[in-house]
Amino acid sequence: MKEAVTARRVPTPERPPEQRLRDFDEVNLGYTFELAVEEAKRCLQCPVEEAPCAKACPVHIKIPLFIEKLRRYSDARTAVKEALRVIWRDNLLPAITGRVCPQELLCEAACAKGRVGEPINIGKLERFVADYAREHGIDDELLEEQLPRVEAKRGRVAVIGAGPSSLTCASELAKIGYKVTIFEALHKPGGVLLFGVPEFRLPKKVLEKEVERLKRLGVEFKLNCIVGKTITLDEIRREYDAVFIATGAGTPKLLNIPGILLNDVYSANEFLTRVNLMKAHKFPEYDTPVRVGRKVIVIGAGNTAMDAARTARRLGAEVIIAYRRGREDVTARAEEVRHALEEGVRFMFFVTPIEILGDERGNVRAVKFMKMKPLEERNRESKRKIMPTGETVVVEADTVIIAIGLVPNKLIWENVPELEVTSEGTLKVDGDLMTSIPGVFAGGDIVRGEATVIEGMGDGRKAAKAIHQYIQRSKHQQAILKV
Amino acid sequence: MRWNSTGYRITGKADLNAEDFFVEVEAPEVAERWRPGSFVILLLHEKGERIPLSVQKVRDGRLSLLVKRLGKSSWQLYREYGVGSEVAHLAGPLGKPIELKEYGNVVVVSDLVCGHAENYAISSALREINGNYVISIQSFKDRSEVYPEEFLTKDVCHEFWLTTLNGSAGIKGHFLDVVAKLLEERDIDIIFGGGELASLWRLAELTKPYGIPTIVTVRQIMVDGTGMCGSCRVLVDGKIKFACVDGPMFDAHKVSFEDALRRLTRFEREEKLALERYLRGGAP
Ligand SMILES: Cc1cc2nc3c(=O)[nH]c(=O)nc-3n(C[C@H](O)[C@H](O)[C@H](O)COP(=O)(O)OP(=O)(O)OC[C@H]3O[C@@H](n4cnc5c(N)ncnc54)[C@H](O)[C@@H]3O)c2cc1C
Ligand code: FES
Repeated sequence: MKEAVTARRVPTPERPPEQRLRDFDEVNLGYTFELAVEEAKRCLQCPVEEAPCAKACPVHIKIPLFIEKLRRYSDARTAVKEALRVIWRDNLLPAITGRVCPQELLCEAACAKGRVGEPINIGKLERFVADYAREHGIDDELLEEQLPRVEAKRGRVAVIGAGPSSLTCASELAKIGYKVTIFEALHKPGGVLLFGVPEFRLPKKVLEKEVERLKRLGVEFKLNCIVGKTITLDEIRREYDAVFIATGAGTPKLLNIPGILLNDVYSANEFLTRVNLMKAHKFPEYDTPVRVGRKVIVIGAGNTAMDAARTARRLGAEVIIAYRRGREDVTARAEEVRHALEEGVRFMFFVTPIEILGDERGNVRAVKFMKMKPLEERNRESKRKIMPTGETVVVEADTVIIAIGLVPNKLIWENVPELEVTSEGTLKVDGDLMTSIPGVFAGGDIVRGEATVIEGMGDGRKAAKAIHQYIQRSKHQQAILKV
Repeated sequence: MRWNSTGYRITGKADLNAEDFFVEVEAPEVAERWRPGSFVILLLHEKGERIPLSVQKVRDGRLSLLVKRLGKSSWQLYREYGVGSEVAHLAGPLGKPIELKEYGNVVVVSDLVCGHAENYAISSALREINGNYVISIQSFKDRSEVYPEEFLTKDVCHEFWLTTLNGSAGIKGHFLDVVAKLLEERDIDIIFGGGELASLWRLAELTKPYGIPTIVTVRQIMVDGTGMCGSCRVLVDGKIKFACVDGPMFDAHKVSFEDALRRLTRFEREEKLALERYLRGGAP
């Protein structure tokens, strides 16, 4: 095949929808080495410093360079190892970001190839490198080479929360010789990747491997530990040289409409947590139940809504996603929307719920919507403004799942008056991600509000650098004082 | 501080009556922080559910929990987790503790296992504070249900009332009857209540005309217990509150008990199924 002439992507195999609906296994099967190389050969190889894809990536992975490694070596092991080495310099969790990043808005949107045909399938190539490495022990080999030579004695850092932002920060610091302890409220690490994103999108074994790797780096996990309750931030500060807070945006927003307390009205977080974290789909083998009726209405159109809708489909329900705006404003990853459609999820646009109707026993019977219409005027996110038409519509349902967003969990700052908080409940930070308390840094959703995995990871990395500098500086100052 | 991350040892266990039992779990970091009004979440094993439990008291880094054999998890805890064994996970303390201060004449009432634990915790803490006179009332159906003395609140309050519905022990009736009498005859400054939601609802109606602050535990179904899911939501004063972080104790005069009672039945069918399956020996 001649290089760089094909306009179309090499497709990745996907399991057919009928089969997908019967289990929680992954939808996309990913590239084989041969297919990955074929896709890699489509890359135009822009010079790394100017490559639009790398610029668009929030953590600036040297994308053309890792793709080049896949093309250069005919031996799969070598190719993957060298590609992984490049990726790891900027991103330690490629198996995760390869699966959950909104690539179509970031690297792939910028891809030069996209101007003449389909952009390079960067996400799937990234995932291939990570998966092949994991399946063939290449990641362990590379980690062994990179294990800190020095004993962990540069200092002690506490990391609060065990989501992607924290995992990244912890591994960056562990690698340069810090002793890191992660404090997590739940009984397992992973954050949203664990309790939010379903198995069919991110197999938990991928996450577990990442956690294992952190343990190999000497990171310690304290689970069942709710900072602010089990231990206070002050106590932690006394024992550690610096702190990184990444407790996410954990609290679900609920609609302020009649019927919100009816029995089968869930927040998406509750529904997804029951299934993903507690394995309610395997009830009664697992003890946590979940109830889904025959007709489910999901309110909202972000990733959370898609995940809830597709999970409900797998539990056997008919599902409608109801969104107050139009198709072009759906915020979920494009691939998830496509998968949802293939799996038979239906969409209603320009409707906003005004009441959830119940029967005499308090079960959901239907949802009453106000029909909306778009205006020409656009809001700050350049979405078209909408207004009620005055016309209503009632849609039958027996289960409602609210997926209209999350706000930061207040547990972390509720009892810490020195920690400055915005009106949205996010933590205020400076350019180095330091909060109003010296030595306490923060990143991810607790700072950004609802953002993305890769942005949270970017923060984790940036904070790790700032924490390193902060600790070195204060040690230096102490040394001067002693002299 | 000694830290548990997984594996919390059971250090004591005893029957309280035919359904309720006491279990003591070692969790020093939780015990140290626990205050009356807050609770813990327990997870027996990796396939288990996260169940909220009230704490009766703490000593030497151990939590005393009072539990009713009701669903699968509590049965399993009773049958399979003896002294010396470990439960997989325990997290807490969760929720907002009550304010420990001088209230004056305090009444604490309970008619159900979790309520009895809370009654003990609140009575003993408030009795220690100068200026408080603590009247504790515990209700049981029948004398056969009455707990052994050391688990009653008798010795941790100033005035103790025991009632049974049929009068077979203590005085005949329910705590509601005693409260009605006290409201007429005595100066009461505040009432704390825990137990059956239906009784607490009636308690709220009883005290409202007198304008006496009434703070009750609103038991709800929980998943995480950290404010992350909204399973435990309760309507208080027309606003949605999460029992696990904003509660579990709320102003009874503002709680929508109708919703709270109904939401307790959300998984009734599933709970029954799981228990029957367990008691049959796990066969589907
Ligand atoms: C259902 C769903 C699907 C999503 N899909 C995508 C996607 O496809 N792509 C994408 O890029 N983004 C997606 N997102 C957004 C993304 O998951 C978040 O932006 C990201 O997880 C934020 O990472 P974080 O590390 O800041 O926090 P989180 O992942 O939220 O982790 C925070 C952790 O802190 C713990 N914690 C909270 N409070 C305390 C405390 N007081 N003490 C100790 N621990 C505490 C929590 O238990 C949790 O484990 C999705 C979000 C949801 C809810
Ligand atoms: S139990 Fe999940 S928010 Fe209270």
